[in-house]
Formats: sequence, structure tokens, C-alpha cells
Amino acid sequence: MAALCRCRHRWKRNNCLHVLTRNLTGKYDYDLVVIGGGSGGLACSKEAAQLGQKVAVLDYVEPTAKGTKWGLGGTCVNVGCIPKKLMHQAALLGTAVKDAQKYGWQISGPICHDWASMADAVQNHVRSLNWGHRVQLQDKKVKYLNLRGSLLDEHTVRGLTKAGKETLLTAKNIVIATGGRPKYPTDIPGAMEHGMTSDDIFWMKSSPGKTLVVGASYVALECAGFLTGIGLDATVMVRSIALRGFDQQMAGLVTDYMEAYGTKFVKECVPKRVDKLFSGALQVTWTDTLTGSEHKDTYDSVLWAVVREKQGQAGSRAPVELLKARGDRGQYHRCLLHPSFRPCLPPPFPCSFLASLGARSRSLSDFVSEDGRSPGQVCQQKHGRKHNISTLPVCMRTVDALVFLLSALYTSTWVAQSRVFIMLPSLVVWSYGDEGVGAGGEWSMPRHHRDSVSTASVTRPPGSVRSHTFGCPGGPMGTDAQLLITSCSAGRAPETKALGLDKLGVQLKKESGKIIVGADESTSVPNIFAFGDIGEGRPELTPTAVKAGKLLARRLAGHGTELMNYDNVATTVFTPLEYGCVGLSEEEAEERHGKDGIEVYHAFYKPLEFSVAERDASQCYLKVVCERGGDQKILGLHFTGPNAGEVTQGFALGLQCGATYSHLLQTVGIHPTCAEELTKVNITKRSGLDAMVSGC
Amino acid sequence: MQACGCSVPKKQLFSSFLRRQGVNIRRSMASDTAGTTRFDLLVIGGGSGGLAGARRASELGASAAVIESHKLGGTCVNVGCVPKKVMWNAAVHAEYLHDHSDYGFEVGNVRFSWEALKTKRDAYISHLNRIYRNNLDKGKIQNIQGHARFTNDPEPTVEVNGRKYTAPHILIATGGQPIVMTDDEVPGGSLGITSDGFFDLETLPKRSVIVGAGYIAVEMAGILSTLGSKTSLVIRQTGVLRNFDSFISANCTKELQNSGIDLWKNSQVKSVRKTEQGLEVTIVTKDPEKKNDEEKISTIQEVDCLLWAIGRQPNTNGLNIDLMGLETDERGHIVVDEFQNTNRPGIYAVGDVCGKALLTPVAIAAGRKLAHRLFEGKKDSKLDYSTIPTVVFSHPPIGTMGLTEEEAIKLRGKENIKVYKTSFTPMYHAITSRKSLCIMKLVCEGKEEKVVGLHMQGLGCDEMLQGFSVAIKMGATKADFDKTIAIHPTSSEEFVTMR
Repeated sequence: MAALCRCRHRWKRNNCLHVLTRNLTGKYDYDLVVIGGGSGGLACSKEAAQLGQKVAVLDYVEPTAKGTKWGLGGTCVNVGCIPKKLMHQAALLGTAVKDAQKYGWQISGPICHDWASMADAVQNHVRSLNWGHRVQLQDKKVKYLNLRGSLLDEHTVRGLTKAGKETLLTAKNIVIATGGRPKYPTDIPGAMEHGMTSDDIFWMKSSPGKTLVVGASYVALECAGFLTGIGLDATVMVRSIALRGFDQQMAGLVTDYMEAYGTKFVKECVPKRVDKLFSGALQVTWTDTLTGSEHKDTYDSVLWAVVREKQGQAGSRAPVELLKARGDRGQYHRCLLHPSFRPCLPPPFPCSFLASLGARSRSLSDFVSEDGRSPGQVCQQKHGRKHNISTLPVCMRTVDALVFLLSALYTSTWVAQSRVFIMLPSLVVWSYGDEGVGAGGEWSMPRHHRDSVSTASVTRPPGSVRSHTFGCPGGPMGTDAQLLITSCSAGRAPETKALGLDKLGVQLKKESGKIIVGADESTSVPNIFAFGDIGEGRPELTPTAVKAGKLLARRLAGHGTELMNYDNVATTVFTPLEYGCVGLSEEEAEERHGKDGIEVYHAFYKPLEFSVAERDASQCYLKVVCERGGDQKILGLHFTGPNAGEVTQGFALGLQCGATYSHLLQTVGIHPTCAEELTKVNITKRSGLDAMVSGC
Repeated sequence: MQACGCSVPKKQLFSSFLRRQGVNIRRSMASDTAGTTRFDLLVIGGGSGGLAGARRASELGASAAVIESHKLGGTCVNVGCVPKKVMWNAAVHAEYLHDHSDYGFEVGNVRFSWEALKTKRDAYISHLNRIYRNNLDKGKIQNIQGHARFTNDPEPTVEVNGRKYTAPHILIATGGQPIVMTDDEVPGGSLGITSDGFFDLETLPKRSVIVGAGYIAVEMAGILSTLGSKTSLVIRQTGVLRNFDSFISANCTKELQNSGIDLWKNSQVKSVRKTEQGLEVTIVTKDPEKKNDEEKISTIQEVDCLLWAIGRQPNTNGLNIDLMGLETDERGHIVVDEFQNTNRPGIYAVGDVCGKALLTPVAIAAGRKLAHRLFEGKKDSKLDYSTIPTVVFSHPPIGTMGLTEEEAIKLRGKENIKVYKTSFTPMYHAITSRKSLCIMKLVCEGKEEKVVGLHMQGLGCDEMLQGFSVAIKMGATKADFDKTIAIHPTSSEEFVTMR
């Protein structure tokens, strides 16, 4: 049937016929054109070429607002992993020089750090990697084109040079791997004019000086961490919680260590405006979300690194933007939609949209407590029950939820940047995304939920606020629905805008702007594939992009059918105290298996490196989250300490092999290392016993 | 376990109080010789293995005593792993200081004070000794100070300072010590020290000569050289670590030379003479492949540290093990079966004294497993001696486990073995003028490519190995490695992206 339909379609459209004949005669310029020369795109194109495919890769770097630009290799090589880790190494050396004095090294005179010589060395290394990538492409016979690529049809890519000269390329398959870029907030005056992002900092020729880092994502903490480590005055402004998406106990240890290390934290505050003073210094004004009071300080640089959502299944992350997480790390979701959340919302939100709801409800808490329960109570009652979705929902009737949503969408720029889910009782996720108010769009559901719902659909005609209609034909209209709001004021935005995807009908996730992809990295249009940071729900990590790209290339070239497995992806945050993890956070494990369904083994240990150096090791900690019954399969493993990245990799392999707690215990330790503590851990959280390791 | 924990201490407190009076009510019925104190477990040797065994036995409700003639903690804590790694860390700082300017730091004049480091190190070790003492006290384990000697009583009995002790289970965990060169073997050989003496050195030697090619020689040479001593390493053949995978052996030999250690291949110390300026070490060199070449005799002058690292021997002297009829191998190690049983029922041995896998965690694990077998009735509780991960704190460190390529080919046949390897410069060195390589090798067996050996040398390899060792012990295959997602940017990710 499907084939027949497509045939008929072809007869109707001329250019489709053209495509068909080209396909039959095999006269594409290339077997594969990859748009985006980052880690994923390069891996994909090289793999394809090695399998005998004719491949071209297009890469073009749009300069940042500050004018920073770079070469081939994408985020990781130029403005991500590589320069970040090198600067982190520099910071570690800053710590090492202090330790060295405890180890008998007597250093006379002051120790100072020169940004320019470090940056120069780092930038030279990055340039050598750019060059290396060029050479590799050449060696592997991949055509490299320094062109800005966009799609004309499902087999044609248009490349534009900087000067605007056009080149057309045809290909059997097209892969989009354009990655993402950091984003500036749009509602803070002066943010973009005077601020910078992680795209700029690694390419600065002179020291950023006293720096305010806004956000507590891993990018924010890593940047603030290395700035502190090389002796600069660095401050992190946190709106709610640090390292969202990561285990919150570990996140707390990471930030505690940083505070002790000298990084300043301004908590529960949101920036209001940035002004350049006559002296050239930047004056930042911010609001304390608890008291509502305003504060000011001056900085040499302001770096925007607001939260980057950790990717996962739709709805698997807690919506935490709304709430106050004061003093209860890891329990934040309990406060969702708690009546007290109101003051911390950006100003336009509560009043204006609630006003549009009429006299019936005056605040969100009134609104949702129609059934007589306050949201707080609802949350507490729901807590402890198993939820596939980690957000504790607030019950309201579907129709109310929709009214709420639509009102919010039309009246608040804040919600326009947010991800809103309506959860029907069957846990179907509907989401509404927006690329700006009034941009038009329709209700849509993530692909993997579509099969489970046949009738639910709501349409919103473009046009004025007042004239929209919606409905749920045959759906559970009037029954309880669950409303979730998560903000996605993500620190990074995907590079989809200039690709021409809309004309081709490539489906995007509206609120994130990312491309909706299947397990085989396919998009909604045949022959067009996407992966890496631009793929909706994909981890924004280099190794996953590399691996997914290679596997995709193999499948496209007809070598194997293996799909990318996105489970148990290990990662490490290179903060002053490194944090490595693989598998589930304790919160996630608790949600999936229940508090009684997991056993957490943990230990506070003292690295030998810290002992003689007399460093405080209070944050050196590890925990292994296991299933409670049976073999105690390991669900997640978390480690803070020196060399966490090197420690974690092997354990990630262990998890891949299905390691259990007893597998850890059966392994002989390596003495004296930090990693051996993971094979010795034997205190459960449940026991309440002191988890401090003493002696060998 | 927890219920035991509540009831046992009181009982033990009481009995240990009585023991101090020389009376033992609990076992007085069984005691036939007056003055012999009885325990459930008597451990000879207060090192890693002995202490672990005694503590676990005590946790399981047994009355235990530990006999130790020196400081608690044994080799590991006092003259092994711990002070060695402290020294290694100090040396790593020397390397970092070298790299500081490459990373943008301006560091003024740097001088190394061995004295300051030694004071710190000794304080730390004393702190650990105290922790061990406290742990024994907490576990209500009696600590008997002095040398143990088996007596010829009909029942296995040990005498310490004239007092007799016995137990149905006696664990020998006396460990080992470095082999000392005698003047008979090498004239003047006794003028040198061993690794034990290294930890007594009060100043940084200006000129060091290390003899040996094993891991201790490699570690000592690395530490001394990096801390600023002009160091020569004398080896009998052409490479160090000859029982390691040849990939590691060759690379480590090269790294030693690159780091400025003066390597004497095909050489042996012929004689040592004391002069006013220090020791004069005479070395004879002969390349066995060049049969016609004459032996070359050279001397190294003004040596203030000659360190023999020519192997270790078991500590059984004065223990009178022959009285118990214990079987030993040709080098004096006590022979035990897989359950740590000696040939005499009721007498067991763990750790270095058995001569197998001379590693702290091995001794600890073996001691604990034995305690579970003896006092918890876990009949099959034993340590698996295969696939034990080991790290050598060389510069850069080495991590290794399982079979070497050579062993694997010999055991399983060349056609069944596939080897993957890689070598690269770690990212840390991307912007440093000082360089060191990271090399990695996987030895895989059979069609399913089960990983039977993993070998590496490079920055961070010390902390890398543990996790991989868990997976390899579980039977990980190359495909499992391939399926694992890398952590970027690390060195360890190379293992899961190897082709």
C-alpha cells in the first residue's frame, strides 16, 4: 500500500520523478553527504569512505556574537571537550603546585599564571587537531567543503560559501550532524552585548579576569572550576540546582568542593541586566528569588552557561525550574508546583496568564487545587509511588490543563521557552513546543508514544489567541490529566535553523528545535538522517556521536544492521573534583525501582594523594546503586575524586557486561589507588552506619 | 551479622579481660598445659593479610590474637605500597613542576627537601600504625608483641617472649623481606641497602645505583631519578620487567632511558668498595650475543646509594616451621593449597610467605576468605588467584592483568589468540614539552574474543585498571569493549575504541 501511494505521488511531482530516475541510474554526485564536520559527522564520513562510499562533508562555522570562529572538528575539538580538559589540566597543576610544597618541594617567590601562554598553547593544539582532521579526510578520500549546507530536496544539498557562492551536491543519503551552539538568554538586557559563552572563552587572547558564570550546568561548573584553579576570581550564579540531570548528592559534593576550593556561588538568584560601565567593567544586576531583593556587582567577564538539559526519554527529567531547591538536594521534585513557587517565576508569568483565566482562579495553586487538595499535598501523596516519569504530577482536568497551557503560551515569554507536557492518565505524553509565540504549530507527540494513542489529537489553528479551538475526539476529555512543565531554557540550541528542514518536512521537536530521530537515526524524511547533539533525546556527548555516526555509516553502506545503544552511557564532569558516573542516578533508580527496591553502597574515602598533601577529602565519595533483590545488579555507579574519568571507563564496561555488586567484591583491589575503593565498598545507606573508610 | 555485632563484643570484652589475667575461662576445660593461652585463631604476622584475617574472624565471633614483632601493618604500610606511593606522588609533582610553564604557570625557584617529605611520610605511616592498633582494639583482638616460634608441644603451639599460645587454627602471615646481597656473592655487596633501607634514607642520594630488573627496581629507580638523584639501573639482560608482556617490558625500558636513567644492560655488579667519596661500584658488562667480545669492566664512583632489588624471600627464619613439618618450596615459601591449607591440619598461610602474587589486596582477600571458611562454615570460600590486576608505579605507571601475549600463545595456541594494541601521546602532553607515551594491549582468545589479558603503560593507567578488571573477571569479550561508550576525553576511552 505504502509503496503504491508513493508511486502515485511520484507521477504527480516532476522533480520526484527526476529523483527517481537519478536513483535508478545511480548518478548522484555522492553516496553520502554529511552536513557538519564535528566529531559525529567526521566519524560517519570517514567510516563510510572506508567502506568504499563516495563521501563529502560540509562544515561551516558561523562566528559567535563576539566574532569568535574556528576550524574543522566541531564543538568537541574547538570549543568543548579538548580545550576544556586542557584548561582543567592547567587548573589541576595549580592545585598540584600547592600540594607539591607539602611533598617537600620548596618554592620561592609567588606562583602566577599567565592566561596568554596557556591559551596560546591550547589554541595551537586545537589548530593542529583541525589540521589533523583535514589530513585524515584527505587520506580517507572524503571530500571536505568549507560550505554552509542546507537541504533543497531529499537528495540535494545546497552549499554556500562565505561570499554567497552556491554549489549543489546530490547524494543518495544525507546525514545532518550540525550539533549545537550555546544560547544567550533573550530576556536579559545586555546579556548578549556584553556577555560571552563557552564558544568564546577558550579562544580569548587575554585573561577573562573576574568572571561571573551564569548557570550551574556542567559547562558552567567546569569553566568556573578551571578559572578558579588558575587563580582567577570566579563566581557561579545558580538559579535552582547544580548539574541538573545528574545525581544530586554527587552534584552537591562537586559544588561543595568547589566552594572550598575558592569558587564563589551566588545561589537562588537570577540575573536581571548587564550594563557596561564607563570603566569597561560589566555591572550585573540580579534578583534574589527568595527575597525578591536586587543585588549588583561588577565583573570583567560574564559567561552564559545556563542549563543544558541532560537528554533522556521524553519526560524522564524532573521539571525543576519552577521550584526552590533550597537545602533539599535530590528532593526537589517534591516541591513541584508547590504554592510557594510563585515568587520565583519570571514576572510575566503568574499574573498575566492567570488573569486570562478569568475570575475563577487567581493563582496557580488555586487553580490546581480544584479538587480540594493543594499541590503540595498532592505531591506528597504521590511520592513513593512508582512513576515512569520522574515528575510528580499535579492533577487537574484535561480541559483545565489545556486552558492553562494555551493561556500560558500566549501570555508568557517564559513558557514560550518551556517544554510543556500534558500527561493523560495512561501516561501518554503530549507536548507542545514553540519556536516563539504565534509561530504556528500543532500539538504533537513524541514518536514512541504515538502507537499507544490512536485518537488523541488537539489542533490549534494559527491566528489570534481568542479564536483557537481544541478538543480530544474520543479522548479522555474531562478526566484527570497531569500537567508537567519543564523549562528548557537550554544552554545550547541546535543548529537547525538554516538547514531548510521545514520545507522538506523533516520533523523537529518544537520546543528544543532538535530533529526527531528514530533508533536508526532516521528522520521523518527518507534518505535524510540525523544524529549527535542535533538529534532529539540524544546525549550531547562526543563519544555517542562518534559511535552513532560510525554505525550509521555502516548501515548506510550495507555493512551490518547494528543500532546504537544509548543505555549506560558513562560520562565525567571535569570540575576541580572530577565526577564520573555511569548508569542511573540514585533518584532515577528510586523512581524506577522504588526506595525499597534499591540498595545503595557508599563510602567516603581519602585518596592517598590527599593525605600527605593535607587536603580535605570530605567530598571524595563513591556510591554504587544496586537492585536490592536477587544478584544486586548494578544500576548506577558514581565516583568523585582524582582521575574520575580514568576510573569510570572500566566500570562502564562492567555495567555493559551486567555487573552485580558481588562482581565488585570478587575483584581483587589494586593498592594503593582510589579506584580500589569501588571494590571494597560495603556500607549500605540503609544501615545508617558511618561510611568513612579507614586504613587499608 | 548485625545481630552478632551487638552480642559479641560484651562476651569478648569479658574474655579478653580474663585473658590479660592469664586465665581463660572459655577454653579452660580444653587447656591441659598451664600458662598456655588459647584462642580460636592465632595469627603470626600483623601485616595486611594477617590483620584482615584476624579482624574478619573476630567479626564472625572468634577470639583472635595477632603476633607482630615490628610495627603493625607489615610491608605494605611500613616499607611497601604506602610509603612507596607517597614517594611516587612526590616524584609525580616533580614532573608536574616541569610542565607548569607549558600550562602557563610561572613558578619561582624550586628546591626539593627530602627531609621535609620524609618527616611527613613518617608521620603519615605512624598515623596508619595507630589506626591499625585501634582497629585491633575495636575488634577485641589481642596484639602480642614479639617474635613467634613454634614449640615442640604435641599440639601446635607458639611461644612469644617465653609465653605460650595455642589455637585450633593458626595462620602464618609473616610476609617476606628483600633479599640482601652478601659479601660472599659480591665482595662489598653488604655495603648496599634494599628497599627497606630506602625508606630509612634521611637525605636524597646524589648518586644512586639500583640493581635489578623487577618492579621494585623500576619503581625505586624512577622515584630517585625523578626526585633528582643521578641514577643508574643495572640489569642482567636487555630489558626490565621481563615477566611482563613484552610490549610493556620494551616500553618501560625505553621510558626509563628517556627519563634520564642511565641503564646498564647485560651487566652485573662485580664488586663494591668503600672510598672516602662514597661507594665505588664495579660493573662487568658482556653482551651474550657477541661471543667474541671481551667482558667490559667499568666503575661508577661516588655512589651514596647502592640499592639491591634482586627479589624477595619469605619470612620464616626463627619460626621453627620444620618442627611443624610444614612443606616449603625450593625458595622457602610455605606451600599451601587453594584454600590456604598447609600440609599440617590447623595451620594455614596467606600472603607473601606463600610466594604467590605478592600483593596487599591478595593477602587481605585470602585472609578474609579463610576467616569465612573457618568461622562461618563457608566451605568453598577461597580466593581466585587468576586475573589479579596489578599496577607498577613506574613513570608513567603500568597496569596489567591476566595473561601476557606470550603466555596466551603458549597456553592456547597462536591461532586462538588475537591481539589489539594502540599507542598514543595522552592529551595531557598535548601542550607540554615533556612527553610520555600511553600504550595499551588487549589479548583476546577464541572466536568470541574473550579478553584474557590487558596490559598498559601511561599516565593514569594506575587508576584505569580496576574497572576493567571487574569486567574481565566477568568474562568480558572484545565485543563488550566495543559496545561500551567512551568517556571523552580520557586515555582509558582508547580501550573501548580500539580496532
